[in-house]
Amino acid sequence: MEDLKQKLKVQIIEALNLQDTKPEDIDDNAPLFGEGLGLDSIDSLELMVLLERHYQIKVEDPREGRKILQSVQSMAEFIQSKQPA
Amino acid sequence: MAERVFITGMGMITAIGDTVAANLGSLRQQQSGLGFTCYIDTIYKEVLPVAEVKHSTAELSTMAGVPNTPEYTRTTLLGLLAMQEALQQAGISDLQQEPTGFINASTVGGMCDTEKVYFDITDPEKEGDFLKYIDTLDCADCTQRIADTVGFTEYITTVSTACSSSANALMYGARLIKQGLLRRVICGGTEALTRFTLNGFNSLKNVDKRPCRPFDQQRNGLNLGEGAAYLVLESESLVRENNSVILAELSGYCNSNEAFHPTSPSPEGDGAFAAMKNALAMSGRNTADVQYVNVHGTATLNNDVSEGKALERLFGAQVPPFSSTKPFTGHTLAAAGAIEAIYAVLAIQHQVIFPNLNYSEKMEELSIAPETRLLEQVPVNTVISNSFGFGGNNASLVISKYEG
Amino acid sequence: MKGKCYIQGLAAITPQHTFEGNLFSQPLVSTGANVFAVTEPDYKTFIPANSLRRISRLLKMGLTTALKCMQDSGLSVPDAIVTGTGKGSLQDTERFLKDIRQYEERALNPTPFIQSTYNAVNGMIAVQQQVTTYNNTFVHRGFSFESALLDSMLLLEEGASHTLTGAFDEISAEHFYIKSRIGHWKKEMVNSAALYDHLTPGTISGEGAVFFTLTAAPTTQSYARVAGLKMLYKPSLTALTTGLATFLSQHGLSAKDIDLVITGRNGDNNFEHYYRQLDLGLPQVSQLPFKHLCGEYETAGAFALWLGAHMLKAQQVPQQWFPMVSQFPATLNRILIYNHFFGDQHTFILLERTAAPAV
Repeated sequence: MEDLKQKLKVQIIEALNLQDTKPEDIDDNAPLFGEGLGLDSIDSLELMVLLERHYQIKVEDPREGRKILQSVQSMAEFIQSKQPA
Repeated sequence: MAERVFITGMGMITAIGDTVAANLGSLRQQQSGLGFTCYIDTIYKEVLPVAEVKHSTAELSTMAGVPNTPEYTRTTLLGLLAMQEALQQAGISDLQQEPTGFINASTVGGMCDTEKVYFDITDPEKEGDFLKYIDTLDCADCTQRIADTVGFTEYITTVSTACSSSANALMYGARLIKQGLLRRVICGGTEALTRFTLNGFNSLKNVDKRPCRPFDQQRNGLNLGEGAAYLVLESESLVRENNSVILAELSGYCNSNEAFHPTSPSPEGDGAFAAMKNALAMSGRNTADVQYVNVHGTATLNNDVSEGKALERLFGAQVPPFSSTKPFTGHTLAAAGAIEAIYAVLAIQHQVIFPNLNYSEKMEELSIAPETRLLEQVPVNTVISNSFGFGGNNASLVISKYEG
Repeated sequence: MKGKCYIQGLAAITPQHTFEGNLFSQPLVSTGANVFAVTEPDYKTFIPANSLRRISRLLKMGLTTALKCMQDSGLSVPDAIVTGTGKGSLQDTERFLKDIRQYEERALNPTPFIQSTYNAVNGMIAVQQQVTTYNNTFVHRGFSFESALLDSMLLLEEGASHTLTGAFDEISAEHFYIKSRIGHWKKEMVNSAALYDHLTPGTISGEGAVFFTLTAAPTTQSYARVAGLKMLYKPSLTALTTGLATFLSQHGLSAKDIDLVITGRNGDNNFEHYYRQLDLGLPQVSQLPFKHLCGEYETAGAFALWLGAHMLKAQQVPQQWFPMVSQFPATLNRILIYNHFFGDQHTFILLERTAAPAV
């Protein structure tokens, strides 16, 4: 789980081109949108692309996406829940 | 006093008909044009419904009477067919008799054809006839091919403001007339389905796998469509001089911007509200005079909330019958504003209100519901037609019955 | 169109050092590659980092130029944003086409699609400056900028106090190659500074972003007045001559009233005859060509207008940029700009000194 979260942070920074952000700047539970990293709805679509490209998980419904993409923690939990044990 | 601007001719082609009359017939028969594509090469061929014009590009070139060569893209051919009908309907046989402007609209130009050969074009190893498509990469190409084929030599230009493009083309044409730069301008837009655009909207996750359901609680996105439409706009003095038949008056218009987000409207519909309000004010009509609103109604989650809120704000408890005709034609992007402007004229000419198909459940955010029945023999004298797009571009047109 | 239209502010990102500093002391930048790239400023001072991370090159160029132009004008939020672009964001269009192919239409990032939309720059300016009024974008090759200018002149006539009017185009290596396949560029490499000595097929490619703040009334700060504008579509040589004569006479002018002509000459012998035709209609008028400064592109006319406006205000020519010109006019009251794009879209713009004496 910790490895996954670390990897996710690196992937998020790369996908969203967050040039001045380092993985350690992102708190596991901090909201990614609005206050936290200040991401918007287009970022959320890009993060869904990230999930699909790196984890082969397709999020169809944007409303569902919003829940999954709340934080690094929620993303990681979702990825784990989708992966074979 | 600026001159009034009248509509004296119309031409169109969409998935529900090759002519204005055929479109009216399908609207009345409640016959949707949505289905699966025959002509786009995409993995979504049997997944995402589209409203495609039911002719191959080769057939379109025969219909338009031009050679089936790369110079005439599907975008150009659709436009050419609509233009030929508009000129014929307006009784214009020689464009040289009166300096005539042509304001076209396009979102991706000849992409429908160029996307098929793009990687050949960029490959130095490859040579061939496909190199002729290079000229069609931009939005100006279709405008010029249409202009050259039918003989426009005066001012021509092309507008591209995403989904409001042809509404803005009409507005710009009307303003050229009002300021006396030209007495006749033909305005509208043309749009062919492309894999590029289909994937673009799909990447935004706002394409419905089912026929779109505007203003429905369960709506889940838009369906794309293709088509073209042009309206002949003439100044009052020219109309008097030629004794032209007036189909309707373009009495008001407004272009406003959301300044909110690259692709989403503001939740309270500020831009839509401002566009409708100002267009109506310009027309000299008030809200009680409006008998029908042809809404933008794409059936995306955001548009319909925003546009619905704007309707409630503008009309209060007396929202007139409104419907989205996108379930008939799909969202035809650059052509949508002109196609729906023609539907507004048809509503006035035939005293009819077109139904909003696929509606069953009221949206929780709104207290209003679209008109789902075909209403015949109803008084329709003033119609608002909305077109809203990416980049926050909002355009509303007010089209009125000519009453002297 | 006759105009009560004044240039109150301007800004440009071009291959020359035009974004900052005194243009009259900037050295001439040249290229030997047949393609000019703009000199990019530091965008960070204009665009918040959180926005900058996502937006592509043309959008940065366009947005930054627009913001700088508003600063230069000293005016608040404009009543309209009107722009022209021939190609929009090429890099985004190219990227989305490649993504579709590479990822086989699955898991596509929407950003290049959104930014490939021709009105994307306008949308960004509107959001950043909260401009909720008129917004329009023209995309018609060599008429793109001039249509935006005409639209702006109409708006000022209709009562707008000021408009933000601009143009932007970029060139990419891929697109340079594509257009080379239909003979747009010279086959032999030429030095841009010696462009006019090589009268052979094709020209050199360029790019740029230029914005103007246009007002309905002059101020002490105004650069110049856009007095007239005319676009001619595919004119014959006769129609071009008549068009010029009519344009001048509509403004009560004849050739002798024009102090300087800025011409779009670009060393392309396929289309040189149009410029020669113009020379016949304007004998003995000083000329400055400008394509050796910015290359050829759809909205290069905006560069010419920027140059003309600066010269009228300063009553001076940046002579260091014109080593090929030996004589410059002493006073500048009226400048005529004549440009065309590969022979199809021809444009005349009449530019006057704000306090020009009447003819």
